[in-house]
Amino acid sequence: MDFFEDPEDVVKSEFIAVVLAGFGRELQPLTSNHGDEPCPKALLPIGNKPMIDYILAWLEPSGVTDVLLVCPTSHRRSIADHVRSDASASFPSLRIDLQTYGDPQDSSFGTGSILRTFAHRIDRDFVVLPCDFIPPPSLQLLTVLNKFRMESAASGSILTSTWYEAPSQPDKNAGDEWGPHTPLTSIVWDEKTGSLLQVEIPNSLNRNDEEIELKMSLLSMHPRLKLTNRLQDSNVLVCHRSVLELLQKKRKLESLSKGFLPWLCKINHCRSKKEAYKTLLQPYRKMPTLANALKHSTLNEPNTINYKEEDDGKITTNHGPNTRVGLITHKAGDGIAARMNNLYDYLEVNRRFLEQAAQNQAGPPAKGPLIDSKAQISADSSIGQSTRVEERASVKKSVIGRHCVIGKMTKIVGCVILDHCIIEDGAKLEGCILGGSTKVGAKAELSKCVTQAGFEVDTGGNYRNAKLEISDWTTAGAYDDEESDEDEEFEAESEDD
Amino acid sequence: MGSEQPPQTSEQGQEPSQSFRSQKSMTKAERRELQEKQRATKAAAKASGSTGQANKPATKQPEGGGEKSSGKQSGKQGSGSGQSTQPQNQHQRRASRVSGVGGDITRPGGGPGANIASDLASRSINPRGVRIFSHFGLQHKSGAGKGLIHPAIVRLGLLFSDFQITGANARCLATLIAFKHVIQDYTTPQNNTLSRHLMTHLSAQISHLVAARPMSVTMGNAIRQLKLEISGVDIDLPEQDAKEALCGTIDSYIEERITAADQVIAQSAGLKIKDGDILLTYARSSVVEKALLRAHEEGKSFSVYVVDSRPMLEGKKLLTALSTAGIPCTYLLLPAIGSVIAEVSTVFIGAHSLHSNGAVHSRAGTALVSMMAKQHSIPVVVCCETYKISETVQLDSFTKNELGPLNGIFSTFPISIPRESLATENTTNLEILNPLYDLTPPKNITAVVTEVGIIPPTSIGTIHIALGRQIV
Repeated sequence: MDFFEDPEDVVKSEFIAVVLAGFGRELQPLTSNHGDEPCPKALLPIGNKPMIDYILAWLEPSGVTDVLLVCPTSHRRSIADHVRSDASASFPSLRIDLQTYGDPQDSSFGTGSILRTFAHRIDRDFVVLPCDFIPPPSLQLLTVLNKFRMESAASGSILTSTWYEAPSQPDKNAGDEWGPHTPLTSIVWDEKTGSLLQVEIPNSLNRNDEEIELKMSLLSMHPRLKLTNRLQDSNVLVCHRSVLELLQKKRKLESLSKGFLPWLCKINHCRSKKEAYKTLLQPYRKMPTLANALKHSTLNEPNTINYKEEDDGKITTNHGPNTRVGLITHKAGDGIAARMNNLYDYLEVNRRFLEQAAQNQAGPPAKGPLIDSKAQISADSSIGQSTRVEERASVKKSVIGRHCVIGKMTKIVGCVILDHCIIEDGAKLEGCILGGSTKVGAKAELSKCVTQAGFEVDTGGNYRNAKLEISDWTTAGAYDDEESDEDEEFEAESEDD
Repeated sequence: MGSEQPPQTSEQGQEPSQSFRSQKSMTKAERRELQEKQRATKAAAKASGSTGQANKPATKQPEGGGEKSSGKQSGKQGSGSGQSTQPQNQHQRRASRVSGVGGDITRPGGGPGANIASDLASRSINPRGVRIFSHFGLQHKSGAGKGLIHPAIVRLGLLFSDFQITGANARCLATLIAFKHVIQDYTTPQNNTLSRHLMTHLSAQISHLVAARPMSVTMGNAIRQLKLEISGVDIDLPEQDAKEALCGTIDSYIEERITAADQVIAQSAGLKIKDGDILLTYARSSVVEKALLRAHEEGKSFSVYVVDSRPMLEGKKLLTALSTAGIPCTYLLLPAIGSVIAEVSTVFIGAHSLHSNGAVHSRAGTALVSMMAKQHSIPVVVCCETYKISETVQLDSFTKNELGPLNGIFSTFPISIPRESLATENTTNLEILNPLYDLTPPKNITAVVTEVGIIPPTSIGTIHIALGRQIV
């Protein structure tokens, strides 16, 4: 009997995807615990589809099959349930391996540390993906992978990052009610070769925010530069496996995007620093490279440096091992990309999703069986399954989750309401984000509020610009004061007095 | 249909009733025309939504150099619908164009906007385009790569299709190095032998590379040699030894037939360069570059004219390389060659491949250069390694060629020119063709410098005897 061996095993797959499902601290109180159950950031829905589905759907056509999904231990069960559920039957070719990293609630586990912890599971080139990036339909992961493949083969570059143009600057007058907006990052990049040259991290300690330092060696290598702060990091990085070794060496760098990437760009044009890492970057000396072939290529840029002998007899040839960071930019005109870093973006992306859905649909959405015929639901809203909407409720520009109950005469404008919420009669909601299982009492008025899952707004309550969190019953008021002292913004707590 | 009929021939009047005649009574050309009309109608209906005008195909088929011509000789134009499907000779084609325009202008309802929309729609659905070079096929990028393709080959395919590695020598070297990777990562499956299975494994990789860019003669010869070696591997040899042996043969092939050959050629060609010479070269050949640099290092003083042409502008890189070394150079574009050719003493050109009849297949424009040199009785020297020799006979540059990519991939225009004013994409009424190679006939060539000697082009066939091999 001849058992034919699986041909897939002859060649090992080229990339492994590492999806980092973080804690979502910036999205609190949405991501705070609902009772004892956590609400992972990865499962927050955009247009009634969990965030993580978008990333997995993006991975699917790109040819990457192995996925290492990393999440905090407390979120393990919820994410495992989702990944193995029917909803994820739409990713048949992905093999998802779920791993957890232990976390006390507030330890600073940066992305760099996570990669260090799981370095033993990553044995080839890898793609780092955040769980909160919504890729635009016009950008394919294959494009990013191809750019990495080409640069890695041609010039030995070890990392390719993806940056997107944020659609519009946040209005200066936009409220600060939910905390500060993401600060803008300035970067220096070269358009012709598509390389990232320098990343300026805002608010870092030993820097003056009003000046940007450019080294002369950088300018001589790349005479045509662009300096911009309109591009934002998508945290999608395609890396060579030697990046892991560099990370092990630089243990102080916690975060990939805010620590490692700027450091890598910095040492790229400083030859002396690169020499120190030469052995790490070229461990595979025996593997033949394409350098000789490239020298023969007719479109290759010839080396314009005259070979001269140095004083110590060594001949300078190249610029040392290559740590060039490639860059893919995505213009806003080609489609909107977004990262769900904070609450404003979350609201904004949901709104944009509604606009797109409204464009795609010809007429008003089909009404579910539980929706009353007298309810006024505008065409650009999205209502989840099994949600009951009573008569004369008015829903505009909102996303409503599943199994909700919207009472009579309610007005809901520009809101995102997660699953299992109950909104009683006569409530008015404007620009709010309600966590799962929130109860809004009758005739309550909420404007620009975010509630934690399971929160209960009492009848006739009136809240503006607030983050509504469930206070712990057993602790005394002193604890609450402590909390409000820590956070700089105004917080309203519900207390049934 | 039939509302405005520029009177062409008497048969025109039968147009409206054509659809009512049975197909048997029409001539073959008339049937073809009807089919085209129906096809264009469908396209127009699809393109302009439901305009309700089912018979409004304003198709002007692209009137390129070669159009699909049927055997029809009569003046039937079918231009009642503005169609000019079967132009037979110039006169009728011109007439049909006029009628087509006339038909468009006087068309009732719909207006010019809808006409243009259906016009474009029909043009875009016509995949055949211009007939010349249509047999080369369209370049299409392969997808994510099936699981069988080794990552080194995937990356190489990307480098090829993106034109980052160009030139016969460079592509062959890159291919051989990628195959070394593949062989080193290869494991023989159960119940199979290395010599048989590795061949099939490699064939899959090769077809991926060919899909990225058509294979060059150098790659073909090298792969043929590699396959010969693989089939000759001893079946009892342990796998690791066999793999190392194969990598060793690849290394020795590169060393012998490319690197060492280049050195010998550079030396022999240097014998043809004397002090005070004015040399001319075209585009960029790695062998010619090495020869010139070596002659300069030996202390000879000469100057070089570098002739270059779009779209690749490879001569610029050669100019950089030679000037850095200190050789006095002059740079000109191909149309200007007539002004300088009289002063040149020798012309050195490289080759993509040599054919058995002595013809040289090289970068497009080389034929012009050698013809000009021949007219002025200037010796034309081709520098070429023996592994570029192909068994085939080629008589013209149309049967085997390659079309270059369109989208400004070579970025040879200065940034100050706005991209919209450049013709980098196909538009209506314009189709861009970039053949990359052309053929220099043997009568224009004086000598071929190979590593086995300097020979006249007509005795290419004797090289394999000189090399002592069965096949080249």
